[in-house]
Amino acid sequence: MSEVRINVEQRTAFGKGAARKIRRAAKVPAVLYGHGTEPKHLTLPGHELMIALRTPNVLIRLAGDGVDELALPKGIQRDPLKGFLEHIDLLLVRRGEKVSVEIPVNVVGDVVPDGMLEQLMMSVPVEAEATHIPQGVEVDITGLALGTQITSGDLPLPSGVSLSADAEALVLHITTKPTSVEAEAPAEGAEDEGESAAEGSTESE
Amino acid sequence: MLVPRKVKHRKQHRPDRHGMAKGGTKVSFGEYGIQALEHSYVTNRQIEAARIAMTRHIRRGGKVWINIFPDRPLTKKPAETRMGSGKGSPEWWIANVKPGRVMFELSGVAEPVAKEALRRAMHKLPMKCRFVKREVGEA
Repeated sequence: MSEVRINVEQRTAFGKGAARKIRRAAKVPAVLYGHGTEPKHLTLPGHELMIALRTPNVLIRLAGDGVDELALPKGIQRDPLKGFLEHIDLLLVRRGEKVSVEIPVNVVGDVVPDGMLEQLMMSVPVEAEATHIPQGVEVDITGLALGTQITSGDLPLPSGVSLSADAEALVLHITTKPTSVEAEAPAEGAEDEGESAAEGSTESE
Repeated sequence: MLVPRKVKHRKQHRPDRHGMAKGGTKVSFGEYGIQALEHSYVTNRQIEAARIAMTRHIRRGGKVWINIFPDRPLTKKPAETRMGSGKGSPEWWIANVKPGRVMFELSGVAEPVAKEALRRAMHKLPMKCRFVKREVGEA
């Protein structure tokens, strides 16, 4: 996987006032840490970072203002409604180093008629070389019979990538479509409303 | 209808209606979802009505997740009662929903079907909502 170069500036002002000022200038406050080094507080350009983050586990080359490091996004904070980036945690990595990351499970193909795909894991934790992290793992479900289960051990991982989850963990399975009666049945945890509600209350009036 | 099995206190203060949702802001189980755009108290009857509207439209196939639970009681004084004499009796069970919260999720159906099913469900809810899809491959 190729790296994305992003110009950074060192951050000297901290706190919510300074962070808001950075965001108003279409930039993103960030922190870079790892390998036992002192955390570095940085400012990244918002648009370039947003485009870079479209690739899962993108390797970022941070350059400028006395910084020249490779990093992986570790934690991304976004506005829940508007989706703009509020803050990013970057993990310092070295070339050739093995890192633990989560890669997305991409399902391709169509389910058999009367079957329904139930995907329990959207991503799987793996260990891979920092410069060769796969963008995802593909699972072809074409022609899979009803009741077929795919565990994390069945996933076709590229060479040099090892699974760090339990190999027996269920990733997806093909089930029969629920009938309309089953689908309209009350939700789990539902109870009759009325006297039974709040039964066993410990508070006395 | 969704009701807590057991509660520690029968009557509670009204939940606060400020701020944004801190978690549950992404579609995590299904493929499509309904995201709240405003604060609101969602009652168990509204949750059930939305669920029924959704499942009736998708008919067969598809799975529905309800990510909110009405765990807060709201009280009400009887009509034509003078003020005082203590707090009213529990009347509703509500989920305190804040903007950004994904309340319902759906999977196993085609996108146009999911969109229509969730649109019907949105009409049963007391706040402005929007249709959201699972983001693929985000770091």
